[in-house]
Amino acid sequence: MSAIYQSLVTIDPFTLVCTICNLFIQVYLFKRFLLDKVLAVLDARKAAAGQEITAAKAARAEAERVKTEYEQNMAQAKAQANEIVASAQKTATARSEQLLGEARLQAAQIKQKAENDVALEKKKAVNDLKNEIGGIAMQIATKVVEREIQETDHRALIDEFIQNVGDAS
Amino acid sequence: MDIEINGARILFSFSDVPLFGTIHITQTLLMSWIVMALVTGACIWLGHGLTVEGGTRRQALAELAVTKLMDFVHGNMGKNFDKYIPLVGAIFVTSIVSNLMGLFGMWSPTADLSTELAWALVVFVLITYYKLKSGGLKGYLRSFLDPIFLFAPLNVISEFATPVSMACRHFGNILSGTVIGGLIYAALAAASYALFGAVGSSLIVSGVLVVAGAALLLRARAANAPKWQKIVGILCLVVGGLALLTRLPVVGAFAASFPFLDVGLPAVTSLYFDWFSGCIQAFIFCTLTTIFIKQAAGEE
Repeated sequence: MSAIYQSLVTIDPFTLVCTICNLFIQVYLFKRFLLDKVLAVLDARKAAAGQEITAAKAARAEAERVKTEYEQNMAQAKAQANEIVASAQKTATARSEQLLGEARLQAAQIKQKAENDVALEKKKAVNDLKNEIGGIAMQIATKVVEREIQETDHRALIDEFIQNVGDAS
Repeated sequence: MDIEINGARILFSFSDVPLFGTIHITQTLLMSWIVMALVTGACIWLGHGLTVEGGTRRQALAELAVTKLMDFVHGNMGKNFDKYIPLVGAIFVTSIVSNLMGLFGMWSPTADLSTELAWALVVFVLITYYKLKSGGLKGYLRSFLDPIFLFAPLNVISEFATPVSMACRHFGNILSGTVIGGLIYAALAAASYALFGAVGSSLIVSGVLVVAGAALLLRARAANAPKWQKIVGILCLVVGGLALLTRLPVVGAFAASFPFLDVGLPAVTSLYFDWFSGCIQAFIFCTLTTIFIKQAAGEE
């Protein structure tokens, strides 16, 4: 059987119609199996990138917020620390001054007491001396007068003498 | 030698089919189904298992192809005709694969005017649809009277010339490639028979050629021998050797009928007539499709 050929340049209606149908089928298959899938991936990637950017922006805003908060807190903490230190210093100063005052007061009291004691002792000593001198004077006078002087009678006289002695000394 | 250049071979015929009468299943149809299968297979292979992360070369290729196609359509038509991306892509891929079928010694569906005319008619319908849509029926009819009514016949012709020229340009280029390819094969085969018939008829001539070629090659092995010695040496050796081959007892008959010159040389010419012409015609057809539709829609 010899091969039958169409003429070189011809239009075959059946081929024409089939080719048109083929073209539409090919368009559908091309779209269904390649274009749509690639576009879906490209769109998904675009969306993912957009999401990523949004997320990054949110994260950045959050970081900024945290940083501001932190800085605020730090500033607050610093102020508080300063305040605490200042108040501590103040308290310490006040306390030390109070302690110093108390110490001074105590010292003064001790000194006062010591002075009082000294004065008392002195007075006591003077009185003892007076009494002794009075006795001695009496004995001397007895010896001088050769008679016993009535102590009670002359007591005023003796005291006056001693007073004079004390003043003179 | 006779060469025949024929249209598509008719594989089957069915008579008394309603609407068409006698229909022929031609090589064109068979090959266009094979092309469709190839293109769809390639689409499925490229389009399966794509991930958002990407990464594979296959996916990179798929994305590159789709992105280039979209850029092409956007560049020619703007952003309002995205629905024609599948059409343009399908025509382009089908056209290229069809054109390159000739490279494998198969019939190109695009070497049949019916194929291109079918595509051009689809484009023509779209063009007319957009002309009617943008100008209304009145505007469409009035455009035939532009600039004055005397031009009406010319305008009608030019309207139909659009699809005809699109179809014929593509068809003509592919057909000419096929024809020239056939002529080159036939011419080289004739030259081959003439050459090896002449050389092989004389044992002395072919023997001398082999010896001369071998001598030249040996000389060319010297350090600063000119390059032509090597080339001429190889040529002489090959021609002489093949001529001797035709005189061998068993393989001689086969070797004598084998067109040796057809090996390799047509690849050079097919680089232009099949590869370049095939790709450029697909590109031109798609460019015209996009531009004509956009023009018809009247968008600047």
